[in-house]
Amino acid sequence: MEQIRFDHVTQRFRLIRERPDTLREVFARMLHKRPRYLPFEAIKDISFSVKKGETVGIVGRNGSGKSTTLKIIAGIYSPTTGKVSVNGKVAALVELGAGFSPDLTGRENIFINGLLLKMTRREIRERERRIIEFSELGEFIDSPIKQYSSGMYMRLAFSIAVERDPDILLVDEILAVGDAGFREKSMERIMDFHRRGKTIVFVSHAMTSVKQLCTRAILLHKGKMVADGTPGLIYEKYEAILKQAGENI
Amino acid sequence: MDCGSLQPPAARPLLPARYSLKYPIPAVVRPNYSEDAAFFRNSKNPIRTDISGARRAMLQLFREIKNNHELIWALAIKELRVRYKNSALGFLWALLHPLLMMAVYIIVFSTILGRGMDNYGVFLISGIFPWSFFSQSTNYSVSTIVGNSTLLKKVYVDKSVFPVSAVLSNLVNFALSLIALVVILIAMRFPLHWTWVYFPVPVVFLCMFALGFGFLCSAANVFFRDVSHIIQIIMSAWFFMSGVIFPLDVIDPKYQIILKLNPMLYIIDLFHQAVYYGVPLNLNYAILSFVCSLAVLILGYAIFRRLQDMFVYYL
Repeated sequence: MEQIRFDHVTQRFRLIRERPDTLREVFARMLHKRPRYLPFEAIKDISFSVKKGETVGIVGRNGSGKSTTLKIIAGIYSPTTGKVSVNGKVAALVELGAGFSPDLTGRENIFINGLLLKMTRREIRERERRIIEFSELGEFIDSPIKQYSSGMYMRLAFSIAVERDPDILLVDEILAVGDAGFREKSMERIMDFHRRGKTIVFVSHAMTSVKQLCTRAILLHKGKMVADGTPGLIYEKYEAILKQAGENI
Repeated sequence: MDCGSLQPPAARPLLPARYSLKYPIPAVVRPNYSEDAAFFRNSKNPIRTDISGARRAMLQLFREIKNNHELIWALAIKELRVRYKNSALGFLWALLHPLLMMAVYIIVFSTILGRGMDNYGVFLISGIFPWSFFSQSTNYSVSTIVGNSTLLKKVYVDKSVFPVSAVLSNLVNFALSLIALVVILIAMRFPLHWTWVYFPVPVVFLCMFALGFGFLCSAANVFFRDVSHIIQIIMSAWFFMSGVIFPLDVIDPKYQIILKLNPMLYIIDLFHQAVYYGVPLNLNYAILSFVCSLAVLILGYAIFRRLQDMFVYYL
């Protein structure tokens, strides 16, 4: 069953040119009729589809359109042209900590954040223990999160986000969370989604984690889709692109 | 159709065939919407104002509120929590603040200034509290979409959640300030009229008005951040136009007509009537207020709904 489908999708943004700071510049701009915005296409004419249960990696350098693709799947952007269809409940592990209130305690934030991530009150109450346990926050959970270290913050955010029960899981460069032990645990959680037959879309510029997780990969370069195939094949093509740019994988 | 033939085209009817001439031409014809066309075709009285858009918008708003009611509550409570966090008296401030404010008004206006009207202080506070609910809701709503920009860029949430919870949290505050109002009235030995039973009526209108206006302002502020600055000035001008601090008849009749164009005047006066004058619900005022509030709500949300998908590109 097809779960995600992109049909010639293009996403255009308006790139703001530097704003005029002084009145003189305002008038100068009015005279020259320079546009204040430049159109910028983050992804251009991309088509692919993902079947249920697949784990797909999207790779590419910075600015290749990976995150934009993910945000379109998540429904945050609506594409400028083309058609997108997504069947099933989507959960994105990209929004880590968005919507946290620094003044509230970890426990209170679990509640608010859980609701923002479309869990119900009951689900949150049932899973609260598990979330706290997974985050390894212990007694800090009742302190305001403005006092947390950045690692604690991310751990809490990840623990909430991963408690959802989606059909499609979107993961964006997230495995840089916490120390090695926590990272392994997180990876295990994501693998668990895979074992339960969920669809996973995984975004990374590091080929190693893609090879480890995914059965298929898509390579983006400057907003265009360059290749779609096995991680091994993509690895080679990606290497070629990087070599051109004088970087190492 | 055979495009190659050179035969003259068949004469085209003036109206599309589906509109029978038995009936007058419908006021609003949108042939692209087949269901609307069917509506006009089947209707006994085809001349109608097209309200299907408004109805659809309202249905969607109800659906969004229903689906997100837990989140809306949580955000409203969070707002209040954060407001009173780290203060020694905490939530008590929600009660204490209006109480002290009213005490100041009463002392200043009843004992020092108020000579013209009996118990002018009561007139004042019975208008000022609903008004400050409205103006605070607006102040909160204006920045609610822009203020949650990081969230909206990362998580898909129904955007209407934010203005609704802004109004809701201020409504909770307003409810607490009512307790303060009653306390003050009792302390002043001002009679609690039986007309208090009508009190919820203008509250509902005010909520609808505040919500609609909040949708409008929060959407506008995404595209023009100037809105958040200008709104303060608009609100203070509006305050003096709304008869909060004086009854309408102290105004020169020449200018009364201008004030009468302001729907907020009627809503605020309904509060005066229930608390200060102790007269039963003025039905004309109530109907007028209801119609205006509903119109503002529909218009505000319809605009918000149309623009909401673009918010993320401007945040």
